[in-house]
Amino acid sequence: MSLDAIPVHVINTTPAEPGLSGNALPLLREISELLRRLLETGETGTIDLSALPLTPADLDWLQDKLGEGEIAVTLQANGESTLNETACSGVWWVVHRNTQGAVTTQFIEVAWVPELVKAHPQDVKIGQESLELLISDL
Amino acid sequence: MQGPLIDTLARQGITRRTFLKYCATLASMMALPPSAGLAMAEALAATRRPSVIWLPFQECTGCTESITRSHSPTLEAMIFDMISLDYQETLMAAAGFQAEEALHNAMKDNMGKYLLIVDGSIPLGLDGAYSCIGGRSNLEILKEAAEGAAAIIAMGSCASFGGIPKANPNPTGAVSVSDIFTDKPIVNIPGCPPIPAVITGVLAHYLTFGTLPELDDKKRPKAFYGETIHDRCYRRPFYDQGKFAKTFDDEGARRGWCLFELGCKGPVTYNACATEKWNGGTSWPVESGHGCLGCSEPDFWDGGGFYKALSMPADPLKIGAVAAVVGAAVGVGVSVVNRVKKGAAKSAHETTDLADLEK
Repeated sequence: MSLDAIPVHVINTTPAEPGLSGNALPLLREISELLRRLLETGETGTIDLSALPLTPADLDWLQDKLGEGEIAVTLQANGESTLNETACSGVWWVVHRNTQGAVTTQFIEVAWVPELVKAHPQDVKIGQESLELLISDL
Repeated sequence: MQGPLIDTLARQGITRRTFLKYCATLASMMALPPSAGLAMAEALAATRRPSVIWLPFQECTGCTESITRSHSPTLEAMIFDMISLDYQETLMAAAGFQAEEALHNAMKDNMGKYLLIVDGSIPLGLDGAYSCIGGRSNLEILKEAAEGAAAIIAMGSCASFGGIPKANPNPTGAVSVSDIFTDKPIVNIPGCPPIPAVITGVLAHYLTFGTLPELDDKKRPKAFYGETIHDRCYRRPFYDQGKFAKTFDDEGARRGWCLFELGCKGPVTYNACATEKWNGGTSWPVESGHGCLGCSEPDFWDGGGFYKALSMPADPLKIGAVAAVVGAAVGVGVSVVNRVKKGAAKSAHETTDLADLEK
């Protein structure tokens, strides 16, 4: 049986402008407010994109408006995560994926450096110890 | 478990960042502030394992399937590394005497401290004879295990509200866990089945904060059941714009418009499907083009039809005896016509409409 025999035709895949819900615009103001807070108090902020009623088109729109920055971080931790700076310095687009590559959560993080990128002192200590061991063996 | 959890995880090749990422996801789905992700990671990493006893009653094992087939086995398994699952009939290797001994030892050693997970409803008809394990009725087993439990987690719609066993006419006299106990802390995690991340979320909350999460009036965790499917649905903007799919394959359906008129129960169903999704975040019923059945709400099976819009009366056929007699005669005629039409539509591969589905 060919696929043409199936009477349902899917209109794919990138919904054009009709997909915009108008829910993305207010987020830009929220990001701007978070940036002001970061500059004044050093307090970081996060917006959980997966918890908001945003269509794929909304997310594309938002990503397009924020643009691409200079830094793109890839984290391999049980699936790939990307922590990319947007054209707006201090605004990071964080996407967590599972091992199958599906997006599990999506955040906008407003910070000097995203939390996950920083090394934990305990891990640094373990690294230092193994380095000491390596040197003593040489 | 020896030492803090983070060391155990490290031995299994799970790095701190993997764990942090998991906690961030967990905090996100529990609608906790992102800073809570870090707090959770710290608390969970140092946690001691509480004993968990899991009892199945009148159920289909779908709830266990849901948890064990969750999308990121290693991640969901982490939560199971944080608890000591001392009794689970489907998962444990032991059987018979050894299994029952494990159950009683766990209950004795952790008196007043263990968590009791229950899936399935409890039949009260015929003195509980409809469902027995080892010659003892479900009610008897539940009462014994509940005695020393710190809290009971009712997993799935059957344990939470009676579910499908309780559906009209409820032949076994099935009831929910909270119908039996009024003096115990109970968390209902309804859904048929419930979302795997929700059960792990509740366990993580208990491990992190030592308390059960905040519950609503139906004893459901607010973090997951605080809003309706409709509130968080990505098709919601189309509802607001008055754009509705009229059949499952019309222009509106293809454009992803709202499924309200096709019987979607999203507006009255409290659950997290719209944000958590299913099968590893792949999709969920509404995204696949089908309305929500409302499986996490009490008595969803008797709601009057999955394809009836919420705005339609649940049972329009109850219109008095005279009308019913006349209706019956007309009904026979209609159903014959419908059957012929249905057969013809099937062979011609025609569009199926709402009326067809209600036949």
